[in-house]
Amino acid sequence: MQKDSQKTKLRPGQLSRPKNLNLFTIRLPINALVSILHRATGCVLFLILPVILLLLQFSLSSAQHYETVIAILHSPFIKLMLLGLAWAFFHHFFAGIRHLAMDVHWMTTLMKARYTSKVVLVLGVLATLVLAVKIWM
Amino acid sequence: MLIELLTKRYPGMRAWLTQRLSALVMAVYSVFAVARFLIVQPNSYEAWVDFFQPLWWRIATLLFWISLCIHAWLGIRDVFKDYVPNPSVRDVLDKLLVVSLWVYLVWATWLLLG
Repeated sequence: MQKDSQKTKLRPGQLSRPKNLNLFTIRLPINALVSILHRATGCVLFLILPVILLLLQFSLSSAQHYETVIAILHSPFIKLMLLGLAWAFFHHFFAGIRHLAMDVHWMTTLMKARYTSKVVLVLGVLATLVLAVKIWM
Repeated sequence: MLIELLTKRYPGMRAWLTQRLSALVMAVYSVFAVARFLIVQPNSYEAWVDFFQPLWWRIATLLFWISLCIHAWLGIRDVFKDYVPNPSVRDVLDKLLVVSLWVYLVWATWLLLG
């Protein structure tokens, strides 16, 4: 310890600890994955708010504009984007319900939290698949 | 006890509860909106306009949108707090956030009630 601090010229009181900032060597636990996805999907949903308002206003303004919006939503690329956004919504929704459950002290042990994390991930993908079938059939 | 926690002395507690209450409002509306969409199945322009015609639905949608703006404000503000260490940059971002959410709120109100 003494030798080590001399070698790296640590300030007094500073501990010499191994540093590992390579994110690729860190395995994210499933609870952390659900949590960070909840945050990321929240940001995505915030960013598309103006698009939603624009589409709503345009589709309600006249029959012609309505048809334009429908045509836009029918293009395959937009459909894929729509599915991505739908997944963001579903994941944020289910992960949010999970957070609310934990706020009232439900499913808070590590094993249960891991289990509900899996449920949230599966439900998000499942809901997106149902929508995918709906919009491609 | 609860009322005391929500006063100005505990702003973090107030933000925490507001985040959850707005989430509940949005969750209930979302389930309801999907169900109503599946039942009504608005497949034409007229049906789509009719879907947004009832006043109770417009008010419910506006309530959803108000909750959404509050929820997004608290959520994105937390993201800035975590990832933007520079206080002056964060201050600018916070102000941009508030301005954009007010624009969305006024826009939605005008769309639904105007």
